[in-house]
Amino acid sequence: MSALLYIPFLALIFAIVIASAWLLSRYLFDVYTGKKGRLDKLFDPIDNFIYRIINADPLRQMSGWDYFFSVLVFSAFSAALCFAILLFQGYLPLNPQHFTGLSWSLALNTAISFVTNTNLQHYAGETTLSYLSQAAAIQFLQFSSAAIGLCVAVAVFRGFSGKFKGIGNFYYDYVRTITRVMLPIAAIAAIVLVAAGLPQTFSGYITANTIGGGSQTIAIGPIASLVSIMQLGTNGGGYFGANSASPFQNPSPFTNWFEVYLMVLFVTAMPFLFGRMAQNSREGHMLLIAMYAIYAINMAVAFYNVMQFGPGMEASIGAFSSTFWTVTSTSTMTGSLNASLASFNPLVILAALMGMFVQAAPGGIGVGIVYMLMYAILAVFIVGLMAGRTPEYLGAKILPSDIKRAVIVFVSHPIIILIPLAIAFSTGAAGAIGSGSIPNGFTRVLYEFTSAAANNGSDFLGTAANTAFFNISTGVVMLLGRFIAMAIMLIIAESMLKRPRAAEIGMRTDSLLFAGILVVSIMILVVLAFLPFMVLGPILSLLQGYGAI
Amino acid sequence: MGPYCLYYRDTVQSEKPTGAKRVEGNASGEHRKPQLKPLLVESFARMDPRRLKSNPVMFIVELSFIVVAVMAIDPGLIPVVSSPSQQPFYAYVAIIVLLTVWFSTISDSIAEAQIKATADSLKQIEHEVKARKVGADRKVTMVSSKSLRKGDTVLIQKGDYIPIDCVVMEGVAMVDESLLTGESAPVKKAPTDVLIGGSVLVSDSLVAKISADPGDTFLSKLISMVESTKRPKTPNETSISTLLIGFTAIFTIIIISILWLSVSLSLGVDLSVLMALYVCLLPTTIGALLPAIGISGIRRMSADKIIAKSGKAIETAGDTDVVLLDKTGTITFGSRIATNFIPLGKHTQKELGEASFLSSWYDDTPEGRSIIDLAYRDGYIPSVFCSIDRASAVEFSAVTRVSSVKLENPALFLLPKGGGRKSQRMTRMRKKVQQDIPIQDMNITKGAPDAIAQSAREVPAGFDEKVSMISSMGETAMAVAAGGEIIGLIRLKDQLKPGIKEKIDSVKAMGITPIMITGDQPLTAKSIASEVDIDEFVSKAKPETKIEVVKREQSNGRIVAMVGDGTNDAPALAAADAGLAMGSGTIAAKEAANMVDLESDPSKIIRVIILGKQLLMTRGAVTTFSISNDIAKYFAIVPVMFAALPVLGRINVLGLPPETTVLAALVFNAIIIPALIPLATRGVKLKPQNAMAIFMRNMLTYGVGGIILPFIGIELIGRIIMAL
Repeated sequence: MSALLYIPFLALIFAIVIASAWLLSRYLFDVYTGKKGRLDKLFDPIDNFIYRIINADPLRQMSGWDYFFSVLVFSAFSAALCFAILLFQGYLPLNPQHFTGLSWSLALNTAISFVTNTNLQHYAGETTLSYLSQAAAIQFLQFSSAAIGLCVAVAVFRGFSGKFKGIGNFYYDYVRTITRVMLPIAAIAAIVLVAAGLPQTFSGYITANTIGGGSQTIAIGPIASLVSIMQLGTNGGGYFGANSASPFQNPSPFTNWFEVYLMVLFVTAMPFLFGRMAQNSREGHMLLIAMYAIYAINMAVAFYNVMQFGPGMEASIGAFSSTFWTVTSTSTMTGSLNASLASFNPLVILAALMGMFVQAAPGGIGVGIVYMLMYAILAVFIVGLMAGRTPEYLGAKILPSDIKRAVIVFVSHPIIILIPLAIAFSTGAAGAIGSGSIPNGFTRVLYEFTSAAANNGSDFLGTAANTAFFNISTGVVMLLGRFIAMAIMLIIAESMLKRPRAAEIGMRTDSLLFAGILVVSIMILVVLAFLPFMVLGPILSLLQGYGAI
Repeated sequence: MGPYCLYYRDTVQSEKPTGAKRVEGNASGEHRKPQLKPLLVESFARMDPRRLKSNPVMFIVELSFIVVAVMAIDPGLIPVVSSPSQQPFYAYVAIIVLLTVWFSTISDSIAEAQIKATADSLKQIEHEVKARKVGADRKVTMVSSKSLRKGDTVLIQKGDYIPIDCVVMEGVAMVDESLLTGESAPVKKAPTDVLIGGSVLVSDSLVAKISADPGDTFLSKLISMVESTKRPKTPNETSISTLLIGFTAIFTIIIISILWLSVSLSLGVDLSVLMALYVCLLPTTIGALLPAIGISGIRRMSADKIIAKSGKAIETAGDTDVVLLDKTGTITFGSRIATNFIPLGKHTQKELGEASFLSSWYDDTPEGRSIIDLAYRDGYIPSVFCSIDRASAVEFSAVTRVSSVKLENPALFLLPKGGGRKSQRMTRMRKKVQQDIPIQDMNITKGAPDAIAQSAREVPAGFDEKVSMISSMGETAMAVAAGGEIIGLIRLKDQLKPGIKEKIDSVKAMGITPIMITGDQPLTAKSIASEVDIDEFVSKAKPETKIEVVKREQSNGRIVAMVGDGTNDAPALAAADAGLAMGSGTIAAKEAANMVDLESDPSKIIRVIILGKQLLMTRGAVTTFSISNDIAKYFAIVPVMFAALPVLGRINVLGLPPETTVLAALVFNAIIIPALIPLATRGVKLKPQNAMAIFMRNMLTYGVGGIILPFIGIELIGRIIMAL
């Protein structure tokens, strides 16, 4: 089927995405600005009960550090809980298959992976995790990490817009996100998925006697609820090792495209929310256009010679859907897959890598737009000076401290990818798992660290990376990739909060020109930071007349 | 201490003092080419790593040179990533990398030499002269101005340079401050007035007390600020430096990773090629030119005789959203200017002119000064002028709307001792004066025609017609009466300064809002404002109006620039983001402002704004250019750097052999620095346009051009290298 036939279909899908994201942003705006609504009667008692339990004053304005510290402490506690459950699942209930506990390094990697919204999985869920681990440890963190992403984004918006008293209170934002946003929307999505045929049960696996006379264990469980939040919250960590290539996670074309819709829903709503909070919707639109433009560039790279696929493609899903899914999943930092990465053309892998290098096209839930704001600061500053004024973003002058902080965020990404990459090859850790050569092994390891650093979670290596080296190194990379940016962007937001705002008479940031400049600047920055490594990986295998990577 | 000499000695128009040659034109420093030899010496001295440390990018380039130089000397010292057969190539790479460093230090040296030349020419304003020091025994001794100290008393005679900043104690005289202020008309100085070192006394004599030690005067402090090598970075310079450090960090990590990977995966990368890639990728262009751009900004300001107390002040001026313009002095010549004398009845022009001169002597308003100027130009200096210090004056009041001067027992001037042609002329004049005018008490009043007409004994024929004719032309008439008799009218006109309309248009074109401030009535203000296309104005302004407007605009988040000269203006100057004080203004104003214009031209604030914008644009343009260049260098070198992967040759877009590509990229990277020195020191051209239009043009030139140019440049240089 020619890719061109998909264009009207995609236009319809994205029209629905944009429309529902716009509606969602209105709802989110009300949630985060505390606007009174009809649902308050239902939610307020729940929220107040939670505030009492955790002994938080939801109305206290936090400083950037306070907010980040709350995020960090909360994440640390939930990660510790998850680590304990995974380590001791053999002694815990809801374990009909009697799986034993995970090794400490795998448990640590998994806990970090889910608390950072990465969902890198060095295990196959259906043969490793009990129901308790899947539901309590994994699913709880999938809600929680997605909610934290949204909270941080909203706090950053408050600071950037300069229209608020403070950047807000983490506990207020977090509780409202969980009760009013994530739980209801994920529940609706889960119901749709159950209706579309996904299993949702706590009973044990089914053993089927096959026609050939053998017997086969069919893994099931609380799948629909996990899939809904894994896609909505750009988590990506699936129930099965095969992720969405498995028929129980993704049984039909409807579920396939519904899950694509869930992946891009929140990340598309965020720029709209930003525009609302900045009281200039065009500012939000320009960021959205820039995000989608880079997303489209990644797509174009992936589809450049779409028909050359290797073996391993899930036949029921097809080449187009698989490619589209993969680029979407890597561009949104979801990381769920409906086909094996090894079956793709190197250009698809290149597109996936580019999505993860950029991290903001449209990026993960909440954090994608936060990265986009970091790029906006850098782009506004570098080229904005040429308008003959100290560059301004949303009317606030860009100060040396902003540049210092934005540069740290930007530089940290290549650093946490390239240093472990070099270590993996020089110590032979990559060779030990059969990935010690160029271009294919190199691509796999580069992809692994990029995916960890971008908190994406899709990977080539899978269970092969369950070694102490990869468990620990990717663990560290995931933590740095998640929290450096959050901390620094919150501090920038706080410093912008009270900065005087001028009428924009320099370079306008609510113009299409700015969206264009943002796209070009981001592409240049990413090429500058990663070109030689893209050349040694996917580009080299393309030139060598690859088969499959 | 009695009067030393207070007598007016010359009725003829002031002659230029002998011995006081004006130093003009060369203050710009443009005419002096910095000498080549010290420039070379300085540029080599700056390559000392200890001095280069302040420029991290260039410091790293020099370290890369050392690595490649070691390889060139003995490849065996760095095995694995080098090969002995490549020794000549290593030498070429080392030389070009070293040249890159030298090009950077030479651009700094040129900028420093230019600013030194400018500062030197400013210093000439206040050079060493002979001064008449008055000792405790009232004895006058000739000393060097350098030996004068604060508190000393000096006698200054006609033709003398004011040796150093001082305050008048006795006497009244005219002083030519044109060297400092550019204002050609001499200024009247009386006790307690401030004299600025370097100006020239053109009439009479004064006794003054020195107010500052040499080297501590306001001017010398300003000049040393310009010369200072320790210039704190401006906010945008700091931001750019931070950005450059960020890029340097990324490229360092990339280079280390490639080296590491190449060794573990045997990719065959040669260290010299890697170092060449490193040097090419580092933002050497902006790193090399950033200091020169900042220095040139300050130099271009001082060449216009504007002393900026910091680079930050210039930069802030570029950010201006609102500029406050005084109507008086900026848009129009000091409100109304006397254009001619109209004698009435039997009175002559000379009579009217002299009476007007006397009546305006104590009138310090711009009108009063313009009447003196007009009388002075026409040669109407009254012979009783020497007694003016005994005259009693009644200042203009809004109630009576007249001012008056009474002079009892006026004396004629005494003649100077000595002979010569000059004294003969004086003698003749005395005789003439004595014959013509009997010495009598004088009582001159001047003011609004109707007020003068009321108090006058009779109104001469044609008085009312003349007055209404003048006002119908939008001008003002002022009547003069001597001894109760109306002798004529002075015609006053509010004149726009030449070129002010164009300047205001250019300010508006850049999106800056001009606000006119005037003490006039709203209607008058409106007519002037509409004449120069200003939409916003504040009329009936009081001294505190400026600071109110500054505060009001700032509270709306706007950056405010303003000009001021009086002590009244000091608080507003201090509050404004960019404050330009006039060199002729009070010390309080000059200290409060962050820039001082020695030529005292208030409309120069517009020039300052344009300079500030140019400075920001130049920094932005070179930064963008430098970063865009990296794309081409990357695409040139990466395909040829992995010797073990010849298949990458398929993406070698330039099609040059590996070593040629590396050398060509390095050469391009090096020569772009001297090629851009003129741009860095002159600044990016700025047409007054709105910010978006300016931005688009620069974006196309330096952004898009920065991506394309190096592809062409490297290809061309590569072909030349191959031809050699």
